Amino acid sequence: MSITATKMLARDWRGGELGVLVMALVLAVGVVSGISAFTSRLQNALEQESHRFLAADVVVSSSRELPAQWIEKSDVDGLQHALTLQFPSMVYAGEDTMSLASVKAVSEAYPLRGALTYSTEPFGAVVSADTGPPQGEVWLDSRLFALLDVTIGDTVTVGEATFVVAAAARTEPDQGSSFYGYGPRVLMHYDDIPATAVVQPGSRVEYRHLYAGASASIADFTQWLEPQLQDGQRVITVEEGQPGISNALDRAESFLLLAGSLAVVLAGVAVALAARRFSERHHNYVAIIKSLGATSGTINRLYGSSLLLLGLMATVIGCLLGWGIQALFFYLFADQMPVQPGPSGVRPYAIGAVTSLTCLLCFAWPPLRRLGQSSPLRVLRRDLPLEGRRAIQDYALGLLAITLLMWWYSADWKLTLAVLAGLALTAGLGFCLALTLLRGGRLVGMSAGSIWRLALAGLQRRGTANALQVVIFAMAIMMLLMLLLVRTSLIDEWQAQLPDDAPNHFMINIGPEDVQPIEQALRLENITSEPFYPMIRGRMMSVQGADLPITDDVEEGRRQREINFTWSDTLPADNKLLAGRWWEPGTEEALVSLEEEFAGRMGIEVGDTVGFLVGSQVLETRVASIRQLDWQSMRPNFFLVFPPRLLAAYPATFMTSFHLDVTEKSFLNRFVRNFPTVTVIEMDVVVEQIRTIINQVSAAINLVLIVILAAGGLVLVAGVQASVDARVHESAILRALGAQRRLILGGLLIEFATMGMFAGLLATVAAELSVFILQTTVMEMDYTPTPWIWPLGIVAGTVIIGALGVFSCRRVVSAPPVEVLREL
Amino acid sequence: MAGSELEILKGITLEIKSGESVAIIGASGSGKSTLLGLLAGLDEATAGSVTINDTDLGALDEDGRALFRGQHVGFVFQSFQLLPALTALENVMLPLELQGQSKAQEQAGHFLQRVGLGARTGHYPLQLSGGEQQRVALARAFASKPSILFADEPTGNLDKTTGDHIIDLLFELNREEGTTLVLVTHDHSLADRCQRRLRLDGGALVQE
Repeated sequence: MSITATKMLARDWRGGELGVLVMALVLAVGVVSGISAFTSRLQNALEQESHRFLAADVVVSSSRELPAQWIEKSDVDGLQHALTLQFPSMVYAGEDTMSLASVKAVSEAYPLRGALTYSTEPFGAVVSADTGPPQGEVWLDSRLFALLDVTIGDTVTVGEATFVVAAAARTEPDQGSSFYGYGPRVLMHYDDIPATAVVQPGSRVEYRHLYAGASASIADFTQWLEPQLQDGQRVITVEEGQPGISNALDRAESFLLLAGSLAVVLAGVAVALAARRFSERHHNYVAIIKSLGATSGTINRLYGSSLLLLGLMATVIGCLLGWGIQALFFYLFADQMPVQPGPSGVRPYAIGAVTSLTCLLCFAWPPLRRLGQSSPLRVLRRDLPLEGRRAIQDYALGLLAITLLMWWYSADWKLTLAVLAGLALTAGLGFCLALTLLRGGRLVGMSAGSIWRLALAGLQRRGTANALQVVIFAMAIMMLLMLLLVRTSLIDEWQAQLPDDAPNHFMINIGPEDVQPIEQALRLENITSEPFYPMIRGRMMSVQGADLPITDDVEEGRRQREINFTWSDTLPADNKLLAGRWWEPGTEEALVSLEEEFAGRMGIEVGDTVGFLVGSQVLETRVASIRQLDWQSMRPNFFLVFPPRLLAAYPATFMTSFHLDVTEKSFLNRFVRNFPTVTVIEMDVVVEQIRTIINQVSAAINLVLIVILAAGGLVLVAGVQASVDARVHESAILRALGAQRRLILGGLLIEFATMGMFAGLLATVAAELSVFILQTTVMEMDYTPTPWIWPLGIVAGTVIIGALGVFSCRRVVSAPPVEVLREL
Repeated sequence: MAGSELEILKGITLEIKSGESVAIIGASGSGKSTLLGLLAGLDEATAGSVTINDTDLGALDEDGRALFRGQHVGFVFQSFQLLPALTALENVMLPLELQGQSKAQEQAGHFLQRVGLGARTGHYPLQLSGGEQQRVALARAFASKPSILFADEPTGNLDKTTGDHIIDLLFELNREEGTTLVLVTHDHSLADRCQRRLRLDGGALVQE
């Protein structure tokens, strides 16, 4: 065979036949690898960002000193490490002034991720620092200055050691949420601990090892470490440190994976459309070559190797394009990126290449393979029908391939299934609906005016082809709507969780006598607070009459534990009842309501009896309900709630949370002076960090949405293009017969707009179904119907497809009919 | 067609000698193109047989017929059937390349020269007039040195003067190459230039 594939490819390329197919492939590879690279780099960056909340990549904690060999091993592995020790202690300023404080001693390397902040005066302007105080110095919580009546430069005593007060400690990256029962912060150097002599065997202390390094080394190290953990030693993960952040990141990740999966599907559809058009245009071509003596084997070899060459070319160009897309994203995004995005590795490009090969094999090859069977008789009779009967089989093959690709890409079969369900609904229901509706047009259409008649006649004549096209349009629109819906509900939910005036300060330890004066003080400053919740500390002793084990140094699992609880006659705001019933106000029964995860950990269900020790009294209660809490709300939340009458006799303190703007921080100085026993916990920096992350994730999601919209738009263009040949030809004949420009364009507009309308309608129905499945199973969000999507889907479908159709066929009215007829 | 069979050609027995030129005439729809398709091995007959140079075409499958066409058969079509993506030269080279001939370009160039298009070898079909396109088609048909040439209304898409030139060229080349010619037309003056004329009427063949 002396006619080689390269030669044919070069000739075809010159002839402009390959353009559409190559474009589709290059875009497919480009979009898939670009989005995938962007996503993995972004995930990388966000993960790093989330590590700030641990101040490290991995943290191990224990109430006893941790083995020094771990540090030696980490040095060998090339990791950084830092040590912290946290314990409660009295802090003295002179003989008489003292306060209980939560002391944290940190080594020089701390924090490994993120930064410490301090200010040179209490509640003053915040400065960032890479390391804590040097030996001999301490940083004090802002409100300790008032409590101890000291200023910068004074000395304080912890145990047997005396320190110079160097700054006000403001925030630590790993502040976390375990503030109950601790006093205000004192930050000191790790090497000063022996001098204080306060840490004795049996002291209530928490040792931590912090490690950071390259993610592969960290993973190896963690794997090495985990089997060696003993009772009381545990690894702390980001999920535990900041459940809110990790939840947001998980959903963002699901969204990005969804977007990437949709890119894969869109790419497949685009390639399928382009290949179909390519093969249709080549039927005559093949007939001629066959009449000149080419066998079907020759034809298959020619087109097969051309396709392979084309695939290689398109893959390389596509990967470059993908690299460009993600680089452009990060360039546009640079201002909003606090952390350097990590490398993406080769996986995104491998995904792009595999997508390209799969698309070629499952979408492009079947129609081209049939070219080999094309009858040479077409050289005499051009009106022979095209061999397109097995298209359904091809689509089934393609669908299977796409499913596998999507599954491989997202590693989430629920997500894959949700998308598939939408696609299947669009395809199945859509095809029937489109066929009936488009056929129904015949009855209504015949008596209609001229333009309508032309359009409806066109719609009917190409009934099957049009129905297929409607389904393809609907699929593309569905995926875009789906992404838009998920994006909107995600961002809405995040915004709702942390509105601008979300509480960012907590106040605990409020004596009953202080409640009213504090309410008044807040009112005077125009500060709105959450309700004041009573707080009682007790010990959970038994479940179903059986005593729980006493293992205080194990955090997880069933054990007796000290716990804070509250009372209320009404279900607290934001709480959701999952099981059982809320009690009647004023009930005197011994009931309790438990938080869902807590109940799960303890293995308690509605109707069980639970025993508590409050003060010196034993309290036997029955579990009345299980609640779900929103831990991200920054409002007071409690694992356990009792009816008020049950706890009325016990002494309680109160707590609340409120929003304080950064400009009003000086209020706290006055406040802690007036109410020295009250503990104020500043969460504003943490809230701000969470908000920053969420804003970044939202921006990323919007950006990805735009790219997918563009990809979807291209599929629509390809879909319209696929049907242009026949329409242009017909319109040219009509023009030659004297039809006016207005009639032809009007007819085309109505024809395409009608298809767009049907596609929009189908897409909306299917998108709602997919989003329902996605949100309820994958994202674990509440599904709410979105009425605005209906007009949007239908109008957008009508307008976009109508406009694209007319635009693609515009040549028929601008070029002389003879020229158009001659080319076809 | 939906259960009922349509008989297009009825009881045709026809023998064409090597080197002979035969015209098949008939009105539109008389079955001319169907007969041509069968004779040239482009189509399969439901009954009967076609034998060219002792080869029974009915015994070959489509691939076998394709190889046979490549070696023994040439075509000239009413609508030229040039590949739009290929230049004139490449169009003529195509059958030679399919046969794996090493001097395809030389030979194609020679035949383009012969039909008077030596200066336009690099042009694409769209850049050529109808007459020029048909001349490229002639060059392509003769370049592979077929033993039998089928021409389907070769002047059907051309004006009278151009058509006459093409026909002169066709017969000249036919004589030079000693090719058997089967020509389908409804143009009697064209048919008159063949040694033998056959008329198709309602699917049956009538000797004129």
